[in-house]
Amino acid sequence: MSDCMLRLQSVTKRFGTTMAAESVSLEVGQTELFALLGPSGSGKTTLLRIIAGLDAPDEGRVLIGGRDVTRLPPYRRGIGMVFQDFLLFPHKTVAENIAFPLKMQGKSRAETADDLKWVSQLVRLTGLEERYPHELSGGQKQRVALARGLVSRPSLLLLDEPLANLDRELRKRMEVEIRRFQLELGIPFIYVTHNQEEALTMASRMAVMREGCLEQIGDKLALYHRPATAFVAAFLGSPNTFEGDVVGVEDGRAEIAWHGHRFWSRAHDGLAPGLRAVCYVKSEKIAFASSGAALAGRLRDTIFKGQYADYLVCLDDGHEITVSAAPDLCHRPGEAVGITWAADDGDAFPAVGKE
Amino acid sequence: MSNTVRFWLMVLPGTVFLVVFLLLPLIAIVVFSFWRTESYTLIQDWNLDNYATIFSHSAYLTFLARALVMATCVSLVCLAYAWPVAYFIVRYGGRYRLILLLSTAAPFLTGEILRVAALQQILGPIGVVNMALTRFGFDPIEALMYSNMATGTGLVYLWLPFMVLAIYLSLLNFDFALLDVAKITGAGPLRAFVEVTLPLNRAGTAIGIVLVFIPTLASATTSQFLGGPDGALYGNILARQFGSTGTWALGSAMGVVLFLASALALVIVWRAVGDLRRSGIVIKGAPKP
Repeated sequence: MSDCMLRLQSVTKRFGTTMAAESVSLEVGQTELFALLGPSGSGKTTLLRIIAGLDAPDEGRVLIGGRDVTRLPPYRRGIGMVFQDFLLFPHKTVAENIAFPLKMQGKSRAETADDLKWVSQLVRLTGLEERYPHELSGGQKQRVALARGLVSRPSLLLLDEPLANLDRELRKRMEVEIRRFQLELGIPFIYVTHNQEEALTMASRMAVMREGCLEQIGDKLALYHRPATAFVAAFLGSPNTFEGDVVGVEDGRAEIAWHGHRFWSRAHDGLAPGLRAVCYVKSEKIAFASSGAALAGRLRDTIFKGQYADYLVCLDDGHEITVSAAPDLCHRPGEAVGITWAADDGDAFPAVGKE
Repeated sequence: MSNTVRFWLMVLPGTVFLVVFLLLPLIAIVVFSFWRTESYTLIQDWNLDNYATIFSHSAYLTFLARALVMATCVSLVCLAYAWPVAYFIVRYGGRYRLILLLSTAAPFLTGEILRVAALQQILGPIGVVNMALTRFGFDPIEALMYSNMATGTGLVYLWLPFMVLAIYLSLLNFDFALLDVAKITGAGPLRAFVEVTLPLNRAGTAIGIVLVFIPTLASATTSQFLGGPDGALYGNILARQFGSTGTWALGSAMGVVLFLASALALVIVWRAVGDLRRSGIVIKGAPKP
């Protein structure tokens, strides 16, 4: 990557016997909003703390703007960070909180005033400067935390689940705002979250993390539509899972036999006829079909979600499959339906840990 | 039971305590301080002579000044010593925090006289320190015992646990993650301490200072045992009025002066803390702007 701003080289961190990061290598470009997505305990926050300098890696190197900062303390790295619980200084006013990084840099009063004005407008905080953190709403606290992270124009902004403590409405608004800040500033944001919706909304590229390892790095659409590992396939979206036997493999496709049904799916490494396979199909990629349906069943229930609905289809042999589709389909509970999906919409991986 | 009855039942014990043990004795000494004593008897004869005596004889004020200097020094030494101790216990004590905290107060298990006597065994002319010095061919340090330094050492040793406790309790409520923020926003360890840790524990530290300063100002026992012939403090002179000389009225007046000095110290410390919001303390129910 030519405009690489952050580079991690085989970063490893252990806590006792737990691997918090296992040989993680990663590059983030100058203008990227990069999301690190993973379930809790997957090591994503540890990775962020290593980038920040709050934790030291056991092995590997951290480079920011081409400079090796592995041994530098956080206060010499020139980065900004926004924390999950905001962590505003309770004894300082909004203005003092935001200006804290400038004060530490020894900026003059005039420069500080200019930067404060600029960042207050950017995050829309004008008028709250003299308040104390306990006098702010959750969304305002979030903005102050962002302003404090951005005010010194860092070369990199780290965000550790910054929206986890906000309600849904506010989160939606802030997602859009954070994207706007990133575009305006042109610096990389590294965004840690366990919420895939947030990651998919905001990121340009993302990585999925699991047990200290990066499972897959790439464009967010690629990760969503073309998962490279079973974990990513199961983690992103809300997929249906089919575990069956591989009947045949050809042309990158595998034919799976599942409870007397047969269907094709994209085949990943390690599949061979006779092996067990797990196939993931995202619920919105399954469609109702009147003829030529792969599977037949009855509609058991419809769960209305607003912009779409989850249709729970009970197959004749008792298995339940979720189909996400437009909410106004005129299927009634109990009605016989057929469902189908394209071969490229399924991802089959070798089944692990079972015969 | 109506709410009013319940209110008064709750208020009663505290009120009785304050009236019996604080207000009545205080009123008594204020009243006695305007009487006079004759042949070990208090005589109701309203006058200002006792105060005149205190403020016209430089000896009384000198002893008060010495007590003030002693209390200030002891508070500062306790402060400097207690901060690292309390910080270490809270930050790294883990599940042993409480045991570590209680162990700083372990000498309290023995009683005041015994603690002072123990110090004599360490600092005295034939104590551990001077014996060791002599053994290795050095001259013994005489200032260690029967001096103001010895009194100071004894008082620090006596009151340090209170300072540790106050700072410990304050640090328990301190969010150490704020130090991560300070570090990332460009503050080195010292800056982070001055900008974040200290202000957010200012009120707790002030309480610790008060807890050490006020009893030290009034102390008599420690200087009596460790201070030597010239080590008397205000407390010793005050105690003498109620003992050997039997001038209770003058003693009462000295008590009133001591009370006012302590109250003044409280006010000064409180003013130094200033706006509680600057210490990160939120007063519930305070009007929002």
